[in-house]
Amino acid sequence: MTPPVLVFGEVHEGRVASASLEAIAVARELAGPSDPVIGFVAGSRGEAAAADFARFGVGRVLVAEDPRLDAAPVGAIAHAVTAAARSSGSSLLVAGGTTFGRELVGRLAVRWEAAVATGVTEATRVDGTLRVRRAIFGGRASETRRLEGERSAIAIRPHAFPPPVERPGALAIERVATGDLPASLMAPHRTEVKAPDRGAGPGLTDAAIVVSGGRGLRGPSEFHLVEDLAASLDAAVGASRAVTDAGWRPASFQVGQTGKAVSPQLYIAVGISGAIQHLVGMVSSRVIVAINSDAGAPIFKVADYGIVGDLFEIVPALTAEVRRARGR
Amino acid sequence: MEIVVCVKPIPEAETRLRVGADGTTFDAEGVKFVLAGYDESAVEQALLLKEAIPGSRVHVISAGPSPRTDEVLRASVALGCDLATCVDLSSANSAADPIAIARALASALATVPHDLVLCGKQAGDDEAGLVAPALGELLGVPDFGYVVDLRWDAARKLLKFQRWGESGLELWEAPTPCVIGLQQAWNDPRTAKLPAILKSRKAPIARAAPPAGPTSPSSRPERFELPPPRLGARLIEYKTPQEAAEKLVKLLREEAKVFP
Repeated sequence: MTPPVLVFGEVHEGRVASASLEAIAVARELAGPSDPVIGFVAGSRGEAAAADFARFGVGRVLVAEDPRLDAAPVGAIAHAVTAAARSSGSSLLVAGGTTFGRELVGRLAVRWEAAVATGVTEATRVDGTLRVRRAIFGGRASETRRLEGERSAIAIRPHAFPPPVERPGALAIERVATGDLPASLMAPHRTEVKAPDRGAGPGLTDAAIVVSGGRGLRGPSEFHLVEDLAASLDAAVGASRAVTDAGWRPASFQVGQTGKAVSPQLYIAVGISGAIQHLVGMVSSRVIVAINSDAGAPIFKVADYGIVGDLFEIVPALTAEVRRARGR
Repeated sequence: MEIVVCVKPIPEAETRLRVGADGTTFDAEGVKFVLAGYDESAVEQALLLKEAIPGSRVHVISAGPSPRTDEVLRASVALGCDLATCVDLSSANSAADPIAIARALASALATVPHDLVLCGKQAGDDEAGLVAPALGELLGVPDFGYVVDLRWDAARKLLKFQRWGESGLELWEAPTPCVIGLQQAWNDPRTAKLPAILKSRKAPIARAAPPAGPTSPSSRPERFELPPPRLGARLIEYKTPQEAAEKLVKLLREEAKVFP
């Protein structure tokens, strides 16, 4: 039997982040049919969070039940993960595409002496050799990397893999010691967490659907058309640089080279012409829809579906149709 | 405060990417290299802190193949950085491994005073985001990525910043030293003035040797691929906005299978 594959579960409010749970299917595929996949959680509510793993068929969970890890920097989490990985004999860790998941594997590259990769969209392990595929250059290219060494840690890209399937089963918790956490790593303090607004932060970068508005909306008073469509789809709201530069929406909404890079399942560009500045931030989206009055707009070259027409008529009709189709 | 900014040269955004001769990476022939986008925010943030804290210095370091590194170091000096160091990785063949870059930066930092190390949270070429956390671990200090606002509380001698976490915008307080991966500075990055650009061409660049010894374990690029060209949008034909909406929803649901 090969060593177990470890899945890092990032805990918030006593629950494992959904992006972390996406790592379970990947871990299972890399582990092979008879090899164990085990979970890891940390913090004062680790035991409660472990149940989320059991819900998706991961029955063995290592718990670093330590209140010091509730609001600790990722460096401290990396200490606890490394201790757990060593005690379990694992040689491969898979993390979801959370912000801590990505930073964690960077720390593990040094602390656990692991070969690492982030933003993984495909992973295979053949004869012990781990290869990953990842999007680079803002999705304009991809690369395959070979991870060399005895240990590996990868963070997958959000939404790149199907969501985990519920397979409720028994839960066996194994407590692991966190041991000494260096004072230097424990000195920083998280003082507050503000819920994200719908248009910003991971709300935007991790959303499965993004609806963005551009200059074609003509002014801030019409931007609600984009927000209404987004609300009907439970989507995050984005904007082109023209919109944020003009102050119609804050800079945190900006999708593009100087804003956020997004790669949702569905990206709807409303009144966005498609300057290269914007395209590099969204071209890796799986399905792209463009709504624009100018049939010659470059956005139609990268879009899968296009509607050439007056967005002030099309978008309200689309919002109504989406609501109807979703029974709302 | 001694502030270090780590910067990376990457192809400018308009570059038409081509597959390189050995197929493992892009073809750098004729490509113009510029300061990575988030690194611009890191430089801006460093300069804002320098202006806010009397007696501060900003030292910019780049680990990569020279002379690309020198271009972005001079660009940073033109913006207001005080000192520049290059760790030349062109012979070490490790410029494509983010962890090797972090090790090269850490080895240079052994002789460079640093209270605070800033870098972009990731670079727009390999999109890895690994340098800040690996550097934090190598230096034995905390690291924070996705930071959007960083200020110095002079009275309490603490860094105060915000970062994007899974449950929202997190507010943190941290003593120095630490490593920060910037997503966005308080201000939009400034642009350099022409006299400063001309002067930066003669700015001295210190040379540091890359670390000796093996850099494994590592990850090695094996194949670089460009996506097939997008064929262009299928345009929906319609007589009324309602018809356009119905057709699009049907396509998203039945063909693309992305309708929620």
